[in-house]
Amino acid sequence: MSMRKSLAVVAFAAPLALVACGGGEKQEAPAAAPASTTAAAPAADAGAAKGSASIAGKISFAGTAPAAEKIKVSADPYCQKEHKDGLERKVVDVKDGGLKDVFVYVKSGLTGTYPAPTEAVELDQQGCMYKPHMVVLQVGQPLKIKNNDETLHNIHPRPAVNAEFNIGQPRKGMESTKTFDKKEVMIPVGCDVHPWMRSYISVLDNPFYAVTDEDGKCEIKGLPAGEYEIEAVHEKLKSQTGKITVKDGEKATLDLSYKG
Amino acid sequence: MTPSPGVPREPSAVAVGGSPGVFPFAPWRHRLSVLLVASTLALIFVGGLVTSTGSGLSVPDWPLSYGMVMPPMVGGVFYEHGHRMVASAVGFLTLVLAVWTARAEARASIRRLAWTALAAVIAQGVLGGLTVIFLLPTPISVTHACLAQAFFCMTIALAYLTSREWLAPSGARDDVAGVRGAALAATAAVLGQLVLGAIMRHIGAGLAVPDFPRMYGRWIPPAEILEQAPVAVHLAHRAGALVVLAFVLRLALRASRGHDVRLARPAQIALGLVFVQIGLGALTVLTGKAVLPTTAHVATGAAILGLCWFTTLRTRRHLRAPALAPAVAALGDPAVS
Repeated sequence: MSMRKSLAVVAFAAPLALVACGGGEKQEAPAAAPASTTAAAPAADAGAAKGSASIAGKISFAGTAPAAEKIKVSADPYCQKEHKDGLERKVVDVKDGGLKDVFVYVKSGLTGTYPAPTEAVELDQQGCMYKPHMVVLQVGQPLKIKNNDETLHNIHPRPAVNAEFNIGQPRKGMESTKTFDKKEVMIPVGCDVHPWMRSYISVLDNPFYAVTDEDGKCEIKGLPAGEYEIEAVHEKLKSQTGKITVKDGEKATLDLSYKG
Repeated sequence: MTPSPGVPREPSAVAVGGSPGVFPFAPWRHRLSVLLVASTLALIFVGGLVTSTGSGLSVPDWPLSYGMVMPPMVGGVFYEHGHRMVASAVGFLTLVLAVWTARAEARASIRRLAWTALAAVIAQGVLGGLTVIFLLPTPISVTHACLAQAFFCMTIALAYLTSREWLAPSGARDDVAGVRGAALAATAAVLGQLVLGAIMRHIGAGLAVPDFPRMYGRWIPPAEILEQAPVAVHLAHRAGALVVLAFVLRLALRASRGHDVRLARPAQIALGLVFVQIGLGALTVLTGKAVLPTTAHVATGAAILGLCWFTTLRTRRHLRAPALAPAVAALGDPAVS
């Protein structure tokens, strides 16, 4: 059984915390969602408060987004080869008013406990970039960091409350596993060798989160009925919050918007 | 280690440097010490590049780099491992100079200074390693930056005290213009400013005040912003620049009054560099810490310190304090003939 089917069955049979981003099939398609999203799914299966409510929404951006930043990657011949035409980074990535890569999570209102899954969330270094850009995992859940590049990288998160670390992966195929023991949102991760590489790790004590897709859409599934405060966090823009009440089996909508 | 037979022994009461005209000039050892001075200044520049490019943690291990002696020199590794390589070369030069000095130098004070320099460069290497292992803790990073300046001064002393000028049998005259005190005070002021600069740099306060010459749009900054430590350190560094300017200007004026080009020239160059340094500091802020002005600011600061310290040593050779001359002579001050 594929991961997609597994999740669909589990979500139907025993409503659990499941997060998916985007619309239609993609919402339940871990393969199309950030690695963190797929890894979070089993968490709610471990005796946590169960629910069948969901919150869907669109995070929009109004105004003029900053122009894409051109990045020189010539400092490393391998990265240059991977990006022959150079690299562009859109920190504020907007399509049809929807804002991509916004981390959306339940900030308050949850009462249950949600043990961390044992399945690792992956952070891959590929083409001198991090994949995914937004990593989400639970406290104590393993984070597997892989180097798929034929060049060296160091992995250096700069947390505020968790322990900082800096590890090197000089060869392709190397893997390291780390865990975080405290809740913390949007820990910047960088490679000091290739300063353009940037990712964000968020560590939660529950599996109710989502990351917006390229249309700015996301959905948090498997929530117990209740009143929640939802926070949307973007790496560049200020965070937005909203309150919403959901009932079992109901799909509520919460849209948030940023102004440029 | 004792000097080789045939080298004159140092008189027991001779102070640092020994009496001029007594000890032979060792040209090749002196040249090595001058090379060490130049290499150390280059090392300070390269070290500044590491911080300016944000490459301090691009090599996460120490003493090896990614478990290798020679990793691929890509991205930030070029700066960090390059710094380690230049530092190793300086360490090696210091080791050679210390052993050579121990074997050939008659003056115990110079032998001690050479060993101290070796100990300092080893400690500096260890501090550099600790900054990597402990992820750039501010106290260690600041100590690393300050010890670099102290080591630089040691190399200058080793070079000058083994120079033909120091060892030549010529007399000293009364310091009527007060150049000795002015040189020492200027050196102390520059050193204090470098410590402040190192703190500012390593707590990331270089842009805590984002405008120049005004401060948050005002000539006199609002008092409430001083409550923030990074802003306070940054403003102290700016104020320190004015203090340094005053002290180095005083030194240059006094040294020029004595009509001794050996004292006037380094003091005047130091004064010129202070103006360059203020310009570089301004550029550092206005360019948002662009790599070149920021790094040049670090190296120029070291050069100013070196010149003031060199002038101080020269005043000890060519000038004597009038009121204290008899007492200093009794201690064997080389400047007293």
